[in-house]
Amino acid sequence: MVDNELLKVKGLKKYFPISNGWFSSKEYVKAVDEVSFSVKKGETLSLVGESGCGKSTLGRLINGLIKADAGDIVFKGDNLAEASETKWRSYRKPMQMIFQDPYASLSPRMKIKEIIAEPLKIHDPSLSREEREAKVKSILEICGIDYYHSDKYPHEFSGGQRQRIGIARALILQPELIIADEPVSALDVSIQAQILNLLKKLQKDYQLTYLFISHDLSVVEHISDHVAVMYLGNIVEIAPREAIFEDPKHPYTKALLSSVPIPDPKLKRESIILKGEIPNAANPPKGCKFHTRCPLAMSICSKEIPIMKTVGDKQQMVACHLYQ
Amino acid sequence: MHNLLNVNNLQIAFRKRKKSIKVVNGVDFGISKGEIVGIVGESGCGKSVTSLSIMRLFHDTSGEVVGGTIQFKEKDLLELSEREMRRIRGKEIAMIFQEPMTSLNPVMKIGKQLIQGIMLHLGLNREEAKQQAVEMLKLVGIPRAESIMNEYPHQLSGGMRQRVMIAIAMSCEPELLIADEPTTALDVTIQAQILQLMKKIQRERGTAILLITHDLGVVAESCDRVVVMYAGRVVEEATVEELFESPLHPYTQGLIESVPKIGNRKEELYSIPGHVPNPEAMPNGCKFASRCPYVMDICREREPQLVSNNNGRKQRCWLHQSIKEEERKTIG
Repeated sequence: MVDNELLKVKGLKKYFPISNGWFSSKEYVKAVDEVSFSVKKGETLSLVGESGCGKSTLGRLINGLIKADAGDIVFKGDNLAEASETKWRSYRKPMQMIFQDPYASLSPRMKIKEIIAEPLKIHDPSLSREEREAKVKSILEICGIDYYHSDKYPHEFSGGQRQRIGIARALILQPELIIADEPVSALDVSIQAQILNLLKKLQKDYQLTYLFISHDLSVVEHISDHVAVMYLGNIVEIAPREAIFEDPKHPYTKALLSSVPIPDPKLKRESIILKGEIPNAANPPKGCKFHTRCPLAMSICSKEIPIMKTVGDKQQMVACHLYQ
Repeated sequence: MHNLLNVNNLQIAFRKRKKSIKVVNGVDFGISKGEIVGIVGESGCGKSVTSLSIMRLFHDTSGEVVGGTIQFKEKDLLELSEREMRRIRGKEIAMIFQEPMTSLNPVMKIGKQLIQGIMLHLGLNREEAKQQAVEMLKLVGIPRAESIMNEYPHQLSGGMRQRVMIAIAMSCEPELLIADEPTTALDVTIQAQILQLMKKIQRERGTAILLITHDLGVVAESCDRVVVMYAGRVVEEATVEELFESPLHPYTQGLIESVPKIGNRKEELYSIPGHVPNPEAMPNGCKFASRCPYVMDICREREPQLVSNNNGRKQRCWLHQSIKEEERKTIG
């Protein structure tokens, strides 16, 4: 085990079966295919990619919400991939999730103090009512919600406040790893900035490790230490933040970066506009899955799958035939 | 005055339990031929309702235009009969929406959805309309246009559906295209394609575009002029270069400041404190006063007017106008 390594994922696979009737042969969507990475304690790894690239599935696999078909999930030195549901349950305490939609992820029939206290009741049943309430109070205040509001229901709060409540619920068990699946995508920019600042502050104060799932590269640059770019179930590039944003290697990373609209009209840059659409995940292209849209595709790209290789001296790993 | 569309002092109210709540109160802007104008603002600022009111599309909801005018060329759209409006809608002004799946008819073939409007507005027969439809699909960059005519919306991806929507909207060569968050539901690489397509249409056909969005990046990359809305009001208007270089209204400044920018990473992002006031309990004075870092006494007492500065920029802020000036140069 490398120093400080909190989470390590190796060769993770998840294939969802899709059947087209009783007699047809089984087909699969390879949602996550041979994915490996590791995250150090106190750091943020972001998973970025477009819809259908498998980033959310990957987050759910790590949290054990769905079971992997193959591969290892090593959390604090223990391999969880083969673990029983009971063992998983004990690992969900140090591993919490924050979801995208603050409207759908809070029960509309519970008061917010009940929502936040519920994880405590399950994972820490020995606490007295007073101790629980004290904890709820302090966590709400840390997340920027006045305890005075704790008797209200979720619909009485705005989107940004609800996301704060979601964060408080994740934090109450003092987790080490937080998997945040698009936590700011549903929020307006001015509120998004508040939540991002809160997440960063909490990370600093409590040494939290984030697995941050997002499609928004400008948010990712702001929050990450390392970035993994996914395309159709594979990681195509993984590197420290500066390397990804200053010197991207994979043509897909380059295209993704150049298609982000920049709020500065004077910056007229050359943008790489990809042709075509993201291929169907049930029937991905052979060889490198990106070759059908790649502006630099060579003949080898449609035949052989590129393997991950370290390029340069910045721990930058790329799966692309240009660098093999 | 702009030569295509002029919206003056628009006011829209929704009825809720017999109470009338004004969600848009004082929106002024205009569009000239061939221009791309952006309306930006956060959820609930009234930008979508404003665009719907131009098309008069919320007549069967509880919303209602309670004041102002919408001048399109010589006509006031609010004065027209429903019959006259139908001749403008789809022909002279067309609209595309955020979610291309819910705005296409799921049980009608793409071809039929295109042909309907063309036959109705341009008076072509079925064969001619079909040809025109295929041509439109090619214009928006749909491969195998002929076979797509016989397919249903669910067989297409999100980006393709939005292209079909644009083809339908453009099929009668409208002078104004209203696009309400056209790329919000799309992935970035597809968003870049659609924005490029819209700019191409504007360039080649001279179509004016009203682009409604919450994304300042999209605004910066595609618009000529920008209207910023907050709490149902226009708070600033400027050319896109001026707006990003020297935003005048503190809300615009905060909005631009709070967007994380690639290549310009900060430890802490600027964020506007507080939240948008509830339209049922709007404060007196400037609606941004409670969140404004430069708030003065007058801001809480009197609402500033949208005032034109000497260089043609407009702003609604006491920092940039005195009371005298307000009385001299009130617009609308």
